[in-house]
Amino acid sequence: MPADETMLPTKTNVLIVGGGIQGLSCAFNLAEAGIREVVVLDAGYWQGGASGRNGTLIRAGFLTPEWTRLFHASYEEWRGLSKRLRHNVMFSPRSYTVIAERDATAAMFEDALPVHREVGVRSAILGRRALEEHLPAIAHDRVKAALRLFDGGVAPHHAVMKGYLAACRERGVAVHYRRAVTGFEKTGGRVSAALVGHHRIVADTFVVAAGACNTALAAQMGVSLAGYPMRIEAMALEPMRPLIGPAVSLQDRLCYMHQTARGEVVGGAEVPERPHNTLRSDPPTMAATAAAYLAMFPRLAEMRIMRHWAGIIHVSPDFGPMIGRHPALDNVWFSAGWSYGFTGAPGAGALLAAAIARGTIDDRIRPFAVDRFERGRPIAEAAINLAPPDEISGDVATPSTRKDLDRPLGAALTT
Amino acid sequence: MNSQLSPRSIEFYWNGRRMEAREGDSVAAALRRNGILAIARSRKLHRPLGHSGSYIAGVLARVNGRPNVRLDQEPCRPGMRVAMQNVWPSARFDLLAAAQLLPARWVYGGFEHSRWTPSGGRAYAVWERLMANLAGMGTPPDASLPAAARPARRFKVEVLVIGGGVAGRRAANAAAAAGRKVALVTRGETPGRFSAALGFTLEPLNEAIGVFCGMELFGCYREGTLLVAAPHRHDEGAVAFDVDEIVIATGRRSMPPLVPGNHVPGVMDAHAALELAAGHGVMPGDAVAVVGTGAEKLVAERLQGFGASVVHVGAIADLRRIIGRRCVRAIDVGRTVRCDAVVHAGPWRADPNLLFQIAAEGLFQLVVDDTPRRVSVVGAAAEEDEPIHVPATLSPDTLVCPCMDVTAGELLSHIDAGETDPEVLKRLTSCGMGPCQGYPCWESMLAILAARTGRPPGEFRRPSHRPPRRSITVAQAAGLCGVVEPDR
Repeated sequence: MPADETMLPTKTNVLIVGGGIQGLSCAFNLAEAGIREVVVLDAGYWQGGASGRNGTLIRAGFLTPEWTRLFHASYEEWRGLSKRLRHNVMFSPRSYTVIAERDATAAMFEDALPVHREVGVRSAILGRRALEEHLPAIAHDRVKAALRLFDGGVAPHHAVMKGYLAACRERGVAVHYRRAVTGFEKTGGRVSAALVGHHRIVADTFVVAAGACNTALAAQMGVSLAGYPMRIEAMALEPMRPLIGPAVSLQDRLCYMHQTARGEVVGGAEVPERPHNTLRSDPPTMAATAAAYLAMFPRLAEMRIMRHWAGIIHVSPDFGPMIGRHPALDNVWFSAGWSYGFTGAPGAGALLAAAIARGTIDDRIRPFAVDRFERGRPIAEAAINLAPPDEISGDVATPSTRKDLDRPLGAALTT
Repeated sequence: MNSQLSPRSIEFYWNGRRMEAREGDSVAAALRRNGILAIARSRKLHRPLGHSGSYIAGVLARVNGRPNVRLDQEPCRPGMRVAMQNVWPSARFDLLAAAQLLPARWVYGGFEHSRWTPSGGRAYAVWERLMANLAGMGTPPDASLPAAARPARRFKVEVLVIGGGVAGRRAANAAAAAGRKVALVTRGETPGRFSAALGFTLEPLNEAIGVFCGMELFGCYREGTLLVAAPHRHDEGAVAFDVDEIVIATGRRSMPPLVPGNHVPGVMDAHAALELAAGHGVMPGDAVAVVGTGAEKLVAERLQGFGASVVHVGAIADLRRIIGRRCVRAIDVGRTVRCDAVVHAGPWRADPNLLFQIAAEGLFQLVVDDTPRRVSVVGAAAEEDEPIHVPATLSPDTLVCPCMDVTAGELLSHIDAGETDPEVLKRLTSCGMGPCQGYPCWESMLAILAARTGRPPGEFRRPSHRPPRRSITVAQAAGLCGVVEPDR
């Protein structure tokens, strides 16, 4: 991929702030729709944001019809993405299996099935025998129910981001990394220009798809955007030969995982903490993830943790994406608030680009309007691995040896 | 090679073959004592790798049903069954090594990046499964192994010293003498092995100091106020420290030479060679070449003192290539010198990982700004890093990251196409994403990047150094639950 040494333009048709998977997907679809002069600016490096730090899981079905319709649309995009981009994104449709350890969660799966059927998502609740064949390594005695989304899988972010970036550049989209937008100029109810230091770029339309920076950018535009930045953490185990086939969500442990094409088990669990706006990782997440693995995949006990990292997302009040025009700014569109952004990006980019190019809002993004919280219309989706800090319950083994802290040092030491 | 066994010999098995070791040997030392140099195979091309001191992948093997055990840290025990990983059908007849016949360009970025099998379909699923079986290193642990969390402990100390060499001991003793509560964490089973092997006198540690041996301190969290270490032994728990002050005394290591053959079994850094010689009485080879940036004479003298036969001592810049496919046969230093081991003693560079974790911050990329005043770096770790010699005609066959099988040719193909961001190079090639997590391979990558672009090395921001670098198992990490609380 050639380095980006070109000068920034002074005028463009569409300026997209954020070169992650949302921004690139939108840019690609705008270019495909015949929009010329699309510029993408990103403050960080290519894949440096959450698009390059997430668990790369892909799923079509959730519990609410709203989420399921949007993510099913995205799944359909995933299936043909390599052909559309003409780059191999290494999409692996190996299915996505959600595990319940509580009766209430198992009951939720029953509720999900008719929603999936109505939208057209292929899913099934697996019987014991089927689960043993599908996921032999799991601790079967702990499983209350398993929901298999046949329309699910994984794709490594390096291949996906490479495909999107190359496809964008091949279609004339100018993508610039390490170029931070430092301010905006407004005229009436519109944003007229973006500033990159002393450089000024005039644009007709702006798209903000900047992940953790969305709320700060909205503030720079003088408008408010619900939500806040929050760190999410993940970790990779040392590579080994295949043990875990599908993508897996351990719903009751707020933990997700899969084994990559090169053998690493990658995943993460959520722990209740106050929101942190940092790329630094913290050991409780590593401990909670390890505890979830240990309980549900005991054969991972002696595997070693290679790396553990954090990424930052923009969390909306209902954890759902915010897609569409900002109510206070005529020419500014957002693709924000993503917690399942990687799996949602191909679909959201296509639908948002269609909205910008044709001015028609598709029914699948309409419920995710930016101002739904002000209108009192949040969407309560229960089948996600995120919860407000105070609602997350720790169901994992917690041997408390904190008392060691106060013991005299010498007595407890191994010398 | 010293193969004389003491009466206290023990038996173990390598790939099903019975072998003898001395009590107290690491498995790596025991294998070398038995003339076994190739311990592992690289990920993509199945190149033979050995105990190098530089790359962890070269000492990983399956031990009693556990994959990826570090043989240089694993004591050899009676009846132990050790087996090579990533070979098929057997270690002696590895058909997968046929991958070496593929054109190098085909495996740039990894096997799994197929251009012929578009993703999303059944054919890709079969391809992916096949690749996962080739690339996965070890097979999963035996189902019969116990799966319980190893409970962790937590201590509050005023000063934590990392490293048990001359400088670490001095710092720990000084702090203890000043009445402070001090702990010292060291990798070795006894602190200061390398210093002792080099002939330095080690001052005894004050008895008030809590000493944690055989542990890797891998994590510096919350701006260096919460540190976590894990023992090499898989059956013991991790240790968390609440720390006021940190002293980093982790020394420096020699960077592997950037010449073809730098990964061949028989190439070692001075640390590994001296540890084998001093700790186990095992020599790096029968005819040893020592190259370096000034310390080669001292290292050669020490090795000779332990009984090694040194056939060449010279500057690293004169080394052109290391000859041999399965093991070292000779070196080219303008003329050919026959030898079966190459020990490199420089360029010396400190491991940047812990300082990076403490000091790096940033919302778009973690970048080290200033080191907090609570942190001091002492001894060799505080000395300036030596520049890595990049040959004027860098051979594309030179391995930069043997764990992930990344060659200089692969890096150069991206650099020459205009990609000069280290973070992006890492993602495009996987360089530094294996068990070593970037040390020493990112040092080499940055040196190559600087040499190729003509820009100063300091201009490039290094990729993020992430914990825990395979220092902790899932069972040990699970034992930290409740010991380290979330930051609410």
